[in-house]
Amino acid sequence: MSLEELTKWLVNEGIKDDVAVLTRRTVRTELDHLEPEPAEDPDIDWHRLLFAGSILARSEIRQHQEIALRIATGAVTLADSQPVKDAGAVLLDKLSNFRTVALANNRELLETDLEGRLGLGLRMEAQRRKLDHSVLMESSGNWLQVNDFQQRFWDSATKNTWLSASAPTASGKTFLVLQWLINHMRSAETRVSVYLAPTRALVSEIETNLTLLLGRGAEIEVSSLPLREKYDAAYEGGNKLILVFTQERLHLLANVLGDDVHVDLLVVDEAHKIGDNQRGVILQDAIERLERTNPNLKAVFISPATQNPEELLADAPSAADVDFVDSDSPTVIQNLIVAEQVPRKPKRWKLSIRQGVISEQIGVLELSSSPGTLSKKLAFIAAAVGERGGTLVYANRAGDAEDIADLISQLIPPVDCTDKELVELADLAKKGVHPNFSLASLVLKGVAFHYGNMPSLIRQEVERLFRSGKIRFLVCTSTLIEGVNLSCRTIVVRGPRKGIGHPMEPHDFWNLAGRAGRWGNEFQGNIVCIDPDDTTAWPNGVPIRSRYPIKRESDAVLETGDGMADYLERRADTPLSELPDVGQFEQVGAYLLATYLRLGSIEQAGFAKRHNPATIAKIDAQLAALADTIEIGSNIAERHPGVSALGLQSLLNAFRSYQKDVENLIPAPVESQDSYDRFVTIMRRINEHLYPAFMPDSLIPLYVVIVVQWLKGLSLAAMIRKNIEYHHTHGRSYVLPTLIRQTMELVEQVARFRAPKYLSAYMDILHLHLREIGREDLIDDYLDIGTQLEFGVSTRTLLSLMELGLSRMSAVSLYEKIARDDLTKEGCMQWALERDAQFETMDIPAIIIREIREKLLADDKDSQDTLSS
Amino acid sequence: MPAKPFDLGDLHFDKKGDAVAYLNTMLHKYDVGDKVSAEDAKVLMAALARHPEGDEKIGSGVAGFSVRTADFNTKCFWVNRTDGSTMKFAHRACVYGKVRPG
Repeated sequence: MSLEELTKWLVNEGIKDDVAVLTRRTVRTELDHLEPEPAEDPDIDWHRLLFAGSILARSEIRQHQEIALRIATGAVTLADSQPVKDAGAVLLDKLSNFRTVALANNRELLETDLEGRLGLGLRMEAQRRKLDHSVLMESSGNWLQVNDFQQRFWDSATKNTWLSASAPTASGKTFLVLQWLINHMRSAETRVSVYLAPTRALVSEIETNLTLLLGRGAEIEVSSLPLREKYDAAYEGGNKLILVFTQERLHLLANVLGDDVHVDLLVVDEAHKIGDNQRGVILQDAIERLERTNPNLKAVFISPATQNPEELLADAPSAADVDFVDSDSPTVIQNLIVAEQVPRKPKRWKLSIRQGVISEQIGVLELSSSPGTLSKKLAFIAAAVGERGGTLVYANRAGDAEDIADLISQLIPPVDCTDKELVELADLAKKGVHPNFSLASLVLKGVAFHYGNMPSLIRQEVERLFRSGKIRFLVCTSTLIEGVNLSCRTIVVRGPRKGIGHPMEPHDFWNLAGRAGRWGNEFQGNIVCIDPDDTTAWPNGVPIRSRYPIKRESDAVLETGDGMADYLERRADTPLSELPDVGQFEQVGAYLLATYLRLGSIEQAGFAKRHNPATIAKIDAQLAALADTIEIGSNIAERHPGVSALGLQSLLNAFRSYQKDVENLIPAPVESQDSYDRFVTIMRRINEHLYPAFMPDSLIPLYVVIVVQWLKGLSLAAMIRKNIEYHHTHGRSYVLPTLIRQTMELVEQVARFRAPKYLSAYMDILHLHLREIGREDLIDDYLDIGTQLEFGVSTRTLLSLMELGLSRMSAVSLYEKIARDDLTKEGCMQWALERDAQFETMDIPAIIIREIREKLLADDKDSQDTLSS
Repeated sequence: MPAKPFDLGDLHFDKKGDAVAYLNTMLHKYDVGDKVSAEDAKVLMAALARHPEGDEKIGSGVAGFSVRTADFNTKCFWVNRTDGSTMKFAHRACVYGKVRPG
């Protein structure tokens, strides 16, 4: 019998029943409120299982490794005898799962000095494995212990110019990449690195983690602001620089720097999002832009469990050394559990574990009340099964998340509501959002909700307290799969959707489900799927484990064959509002047109080789016709990814034929009384000529109010207050939680996303026009409107505070106390230093004071290590 | 009653309705947020002088005029004063001499 046959036999027959018993027992220990069961499972033959486990550990197949991991974990956590526990630990060691061994030691499940009890042979083997699975941090001379994936990543990232790495969620990717990045910055010639993350939430998380890892006084700066000061310093002999950006922010920086932009190393996190509709092509454009200005660019792509990480290497320069690292190894046991109601007993739910097609009953969950609505189902089951905490509940909408969190808070045993950190978070929610924002009262009960439009300072504190265990239940929305590194012990889902209405794709589901299991903090993670056979909830059933296919948005659109050429043909003379497929084609169309303007033909572009030459030729012909009508240079088109050069030209034409005083085209400063009205007309002009970005027209006044308030540096709390006042004065009714969420959404989606994108294109074209007509005197180069909007600042003082690393919420809160609007960074630090003793008396939330002290006042307190993988 | 002629600065109108129509046309050629041209400002200056609350509207003195938002999603003329303050006015009131013409 070959090893392969033996392995197969073990899994399918040899230890099948023993593993089923073991699984049932390990899973039962994980879940709360299961009805007690009288019949004891038969004893487990540990010796037999451990022997089988050591054979399975050699297999590359995920299922085999999962069984080996389950056996090892079971032996360490369930067995009574020390030799069995020791053997479990050795098996974990064989799986290079050192973190779980460390966890067992921390929990005192293993007696000390395991190595001393091992025979000489095993001891030597363990030593060798440790050496094999360590990487040298050249910068510090320390060794970092790693698993197999991490080791391969480290070696390959160091040796190659372009690397694409893929591994499941929660396998320690981010932790390792950050370590590698810092080590690389310290030991190589690299001056400036860019770390791209798809969301602002992830940007602030990565920025925080890098700052913590580097510690105070580091010789490497970290920044998420697209400003040139630190960049210039890095090349002029100052500190090296790591910039953490979304793709949009990278374009903002590149616009400021022009052709000078030179980045040595690019890390792209969540790189599979190059396939996202509308923003994927902007990411692709950002990567290509850096590659154009530095052909020797080193690039590292990271993605969660993808099928084809090598796809990202297709556009590497031909001279680059490329490689990909792919791992599918489990790091922590994940139990996929389905919950089905016992017929005619709404309070009783049957739980079964699913492994492939096999379902094995685990037990029956007893709820305290009957769940009448879908929200109640989620809330009651989560509250019961995950009472011990670390429980994440997935809600399809932000409003649902709030409701479910409220229901859970009514069902669980009370916690210490005087806990300082929870009280401080409640205070921040009240002062930073609204006195009646429901998050405030919920966190005092150890429950919270979490969605993308929430201010980052609050969201990050929620995440931190969920990690530390003080928040025991967290109800979240799809923000979490859009890239927040947060793992949990148990995740509860029912019919998850991504965005509004779309059932989640299997790979998205598994990106979410993969967060169950805190590697190094827990032995197991649980995914509880409610009503698995309900086809409304799960149109395609509970998805089987699957990996993301990486496909660039541009490639997907080009593969529609004639779709793109056909769109471009219609695009020339049809108003955008009459084109039904704008959402699908406009962004990629803009990218193709910009490429054409730069190269004179897209046949020369890197992507052309991946597509049918006939399709490319047809599109090229359409682009040639469009390009004939365009006078703006390719450099202007390049500055505004996702905005079509056709729109830019149409706007320029509108400016040229404008009959009235040209000064009327310029936005008025937000302090000016006509600022509001100017923006109203500018948004209409953008809708008409550039892109219908601010629709419907009747909502423009609302969009402008938000944009002006945001630029004025108003706090979110003040904006919500004004919105409520408006409803009162105009006799309009409102529902407070909805109004709060809508205000947050307008800030994120309009003020921070659409307005900067289109207003900065508007300003660029306007400046072009002003130069053409000799009115350079009207051009004010203070700070790009896109940057002002992205950060919600229009004064020097506010910008300085944010340059120092404060979140906008803290910066605005402090700015309310600062009289001058022209303070530099040093001026702000001096101001803070003089008032250090008085902050507590200023009615500023404690979490904000903490951030102010951390960022503005040099104290030498050791930064806490809250980094997670 | 025969229509009375009406003058605004150098402009002569056969009847008040024509003056209102002239000002309406002027208003609508601007977008909200626009500053009124120097030429049109002269006419508006003359109009504002005949507004029943003209002195109050003029206040510290006139720096210029704008077209901006009025209630109910409409637009109207605003006077920008030399002290930086600003106030809207109804051009019909300048012609008919009543704040709310019946």
